[in-house]
Amino acid sequence: MSLTARLLEEAGIPTVVMGCAKDIVEYVGVPRFLFSDFPLGNPAGRPSDKASQHATLNLAMRVLETAVVPNTTVQNPLRWSDDPSWKLDISNVDRMSAEEIARRRAEFDESKRIAKAKREGEAA
Amino acid sequence: MDDNPYGFASADDKPIPYMERIRNYYTTLGYGKPYEWAHYSEAPFTPLKKPVSESRVALITTAAPYQPGKGDQGPGSAYNAAAKFYDVYSGDTSVDHDTRISHIGIDRVHTSQKDSNTWFPLPMLRQLADEGVIGEVAPRFHGAPTNRSHRTTIEVDAAEIISRVREDEADVAVIAAN
Repeated sequence: MSLTARLLEEAGIPTVVMGCAKDIVEYVGVPRFLFSDFPLGNPAGRPSDKASQHATLNLAMRVLETAVVPNTTVQNPLRWSDDPSWKLDISNVDRMSAEEIARRRAEFDESKRIAKAKREGEAA
Repeated sequence: MDDNPYGFASADDKPIPYMERIRNYYTTLGYGKPYEWAHYSEAPFTPLKKPVSESRVALITTAAPYQPGKGDQGPGSAYNAAAKFYDVYSGDTSVDHDTRISHIGIDRVHTSQKDSNTWFPLPMLRQLADEGVIGEVAPRFHGAPTNRSHRTTIEVDAAEIISRVREDEADVAVIAAN
């Protein structure tokens, strides 16, 4: 999505990216970025919290309008939780047992097989 | 004695280092060649031609339309590669849509895919139009495939999205990534 933002911008259409993966979006490099320090999957506010969704999209519009240079990141002041321990879980091999890693390997192989079959099916 | 007199946050309370986590994850699972993210040290910049309150805003999403028969797509679903899509799609922004993110690597422990407004802010964008924060919502939103191929993203999908956004005469675009 960061590449799409860049290409839209190059085509003359100003963009703002809303996202939760700060390091990845900044590594690609985008014009304007509203970063929410939330679990992946929540770029537009907290679930079942209209006020946070309103504040987040509003802020994205302000970032769009007020940024003066590219690579502008603004951090959403909203917090996911007062307890930051959720940040330690995702894709963290230091927290997985050998059995868990083996299970995930099998799952990943299966996902790749499904995606490949689907791709080839749609191309046919 | 207070062992944190200046109120410092805990060392883990920072943006998650996803690139490092993901590299370690796949190396530990036994997949040698790490994913290479696109990377630029500079970014393009197009100044706005008019205020957001007078602009037509396009919404771009990585979410997929709900596809009956393609397996569990949430809430609470596991990663579902069968629900991926490979072509840009568009939808009428004047009506509601059932979009899902089961095909994306989101956090499945700490969020549940229950409320699509957290990843697909179309209803909120319409509300901002009613409130006068934005000029208007563009007639269509556009769905971007997440294919992991830079060539496809750049040469096919982004090109298609640009062409559709232009066709809709949108002034600006908000991109909700997952």
